Amino acid sequence: MDLVFTNIVNGLMLGALYAIVSVGLTLVFGIVKVINFAHGEFLMVSMFLVYLVTTFFGVHPYFSLILVLPAAFVMGMLVQRLLIEPLQNSDEHIMIFATVGLSIALINLMLLIFGPDILNTPSSGLRQPVNIGSGMFLTGQLNILICAIAVVGGIHLFLTRTQLGRSIRATGQNRSAAQLMGINVSWIYMVTFGIGAACVGLAAVLIAPLYPTSPEVGQYFVLLSFVVVVMGGLGSITGALVASMIIGLVDAFAGFYLGANVKDLVVFGIFLLVLIFRPQGLFGGARNLSHVS
Amino acid sequence: MPSQKQTTRAPALLRALGVDNSADMRGTLYVLLLLAALLLTPIVVGDDFVYHVFITICLFAGLATAWNIVGGFAGQLSLGHAMYYGIGAYTGMILVNAGITPWIGMFVGAAVSAVVGVLIAYPCFRLKGPFYALASIAFLEVFHVLAIELKWLTGGATGKMVPLQVGWEWMIFRERLPSLIIVFGMLCFTLVVAQVIRHRRLGFYLIATRERESAAVAQVIRHRRLGFYLIATRERESAARAAGIPTVRVRIYAAAISAALVSILGTFHAMYLTFIEPDAAFNLVFSIQIVLFALVGGIGTVFGPLLGAILLVPITEISRGLLGASALGLHGFVYGVILMLVVVFMPDGIVRVLPQRLRAAMDPEEFDDTRGEALDDEAMGEMHPESVKTGERPPVGREVLRVDHLVKNFGGLAVTQDVSLTLREGEVLGIIGPNGAGKTTLFNMLSGFLAADGGSVAVMDANGNVHQPQTPADFVGLGVGRTFQIVQPFASMTVEENIMVGAFHRHPGVDAARAAAREIAEELGMARYLHEEARNLPIGGLKRLEVARVMAMRPRILLLDEVMAGINPSDLLEAIRLIKAIRDTGVSIIAIEHVMRAVMDLSDRVVVINSGAVIAEGDPETVVRDEAVIEAYLGKEHGNA
Repeated sequence: MDLVFTNIVNGLMLGALYAIVSVGLTLVFGIVKVINFAHGEFLMVSMFLVYLVTTFFGVHPYFSLILVLPAAFVMGMLVQRLLIEPLQNSDEHIMIFATVGLSIALINLMLLIFGPDILNTPSSGLRQPVNIGSGMFLTGQLNILICAIAVVGGIHLFLTRTQLGRSIRATGQNRSAAQLMGINVSWIYMVTFGIGAACVGLAAVLIAPLYPTSPEVGQYFVLLSFVVVVMGGLGSITGALVASMIIGLVDAFAGFYLGANVKDLVVFGIFLLVLIFRPQGLFGGARNLSHVS
Repeated sequence: MPSQKQTTRAPALLRALGVDNSADMRGTLYVLLLLAALLLTPIVVGDDFVYHVFITICLFAGLATAWNIVGGFAGQLSLGHAMYYGIGAYTGMILVNAGITPWIGMFVGAAVSAVVGVLIAYPCFRLKGPFYALASIAFLEVFHVLAIELKWLTGGATGKMVPLQVGWEWMIFRERLPSLIIVFGMLCFTLVVAQVIRHRRLGFYLIATRERESAAVAQVIRHRRLGFYLIATRERESAARAAGIPTVRVRIYAAAISAALVSILGTFHAMYLTFIEPDAAFNLVFSIQIVLFALVGGIGTVFGPLLGAILLVPITEISRGLLGASALGLHGFVYGVILMLVVVFMPDGIVRVLPQRLRAAMDPEEFDDTRGEALDDEAMGEMHPESVKTGERPPVGREVLRVDHLVKNFGGLAVTQDVSLTLREGEVLGIIGPNGAGKTTLFNMLSGFLAADGGSVAVMDANGNVHQPQTPADFVGLGVGRTFQIVQPFASMTVEENIMVGAFHRHPGVDAARAAAREIAEELGMARYLHEEARNLPIGGLKRLEVARVMAMRPRILLLDEVMAGINPSDLLEAIRLIKAIRDTGVSIIAIEHVMRAVMDLSDRVVVINSGAVIAEGDPETVVRDEAVIEAYLGKEHGNA
């Protein structure tokens, strides 16, 4: 029983981690209709930025948010403006290659600059363990959980309650109609991409003190993000949150009982089953951003 | 012009490879020169590093060509092809350890890969674009983990050496030349396979099933349909199925062939490197590299991937050779940047920016005619109405299609309620009704695209036997052809190729299908536009192309879904004549139509449908005076007035 509880706590913490990483991915997919294969690299670059700011200024990692958040936002906007927008009307496969290319370029650019070594952002007490019964987690993990829920709630409110959010949703539902209503679609896409990237920037600030930073770190997270985002129903933010928790729990239990490698087998097995049998996601896409009423 | 090209015919052997005429023969010569250079340069230079670069070129060119069969021809973007490379490499290594030569091992690996390819292709064939890519990545990861976990078989995460037995028998050599000869042979074999597929029925079918579509259509689908990317854009697939293409089987063949070819190269490479580990064999970046070469060269062309590899491999290999470890990540960075630049500035690859003569050489079929300027309506209007042959009308014969009490519900909405009708041989049955009456749903049930919830559709074959077909393929087999209300051309294929896809239904051979397609085009006055890409046709031309494609199947029963909608008055007259001409050849026709002039003029009988039920039936003059019909169209008050 204690073991089960430990794993549940672990699973929820992992789930929160996946959730905070995938929110931006699902937002961008829901609105811009692009699967950003370079999403993980946004995270990776942001984590390097957190490392640099933290070590250079000697501040608490969370302070780097002031710099990382706008930087990620601008990075997202630029990618949309310079890479995605020119391809908006091309074949699907072109869009995939564009983001895959961006991903490879960013990984290797960081490899060129920083080398293959792992960098550790100072943890500044965020690795302090908290015990609840047999369950144990780090304060930093708890912060991730809180932020994940807050971000999902915040984005939901933003999309449903603000004029900009409504414009974003309108654009996601029907680009041409939105354009006819006087919405600057190109700008909306840039803002959406920026917000998506900013979410990853926030994730990076939260993750960097807990996990080592390396050029490949994005790859690890992005595969799981795809799993979560597809399971939750592409473009569904709340769906992604629920799916993150499910995958987090699966991850924790499978990892504990079956071992680290087999765990991946289980996760990808589930992913494939979902892709093949329920490509619209576990929740039927009802929460899809383009539908949200 | 094609007629001039045909003056010189190629020898039979070359013709089997799809080399038809003098232009193609010149193209073949260029390709052969390129291949000869690939083989001879390192032999002449004699340097070990140069050998290595050229072996790597051949390897990647072969891998990219094989990938292209699935990724380019069929448009399924696999990012997991390293998995077949890995299977080939591991199978070869394991069997060598068991004392079996890689010459056998590579075929065992190919067989395993082909089976895996089929097992993956079957459940995934509905996935499109990014979803197929994601699924292929996940499968690659699964194999990666398996290679690490099955230690007894694979040696686990640390990898395993191939026993160093030197000699031809073991495919391991002290010099580089034999390796070059082997991989060069494999490359040539792969190219020949790709070339043959491209110029056979399978190639046409693959291209017809791929989802590439004109930008405008993509735009509409991308933004209009929800769940759009996910499940096959059904419309696109339906055009292929309506043309009688076994879409699943075609893709499975392609997947198996592509996997087997990649696997064979994998076995070779394992022997060349003499060491394999899971991280290198089942590597996502390796997969992406394969795709990169194909993309840079020109996706979907036969020789594009070869060009891509020839151009890119030396750059990266040389930079790696010169800068070594000091530039870790440099070649990856270069690849990534090139990938982005290519998709933004020349998404169709190098092949498309080559001078025209060379371009035709690289892919004669696709670039048969590259003038490519869009036709305007005026040009289409010049199609010769007089070219439609009219004959004597045969008498209306026995019943060929019977619909009994058909019912269809979408959720709680009864779209079709108890519809019964019959069609006789040589008859034209018009179906009219207000928007949303359920006409197209009825058509979908009459062609197997939708299963009815109740009732039956019976089709009589040529001998008078009664059948109850279920799938689109069954209907096509019985000679039921259909068009779609929203035209569905295979946009990147030429008019001739579009019609050929229909003609393959009766003529499996390419030459016969081409001849049949030309004949149809002639009959329908489209002969001038044979080599125009379908995406360049205006709407009137596309509607006509739909008819041409279905007529190439020589259907006995023709279902026309609003072929008159949206065409200009002069084209309308022409279209009416066209349908009469088709009728006069003994084809039975059911036409959904809103253009009353056409309905009145063409139909022997008219069925009026409203809210899913038949509200009137009879000859056209009687039906249009029917009160229920007037009410359905104009509302109750007008009906009384």
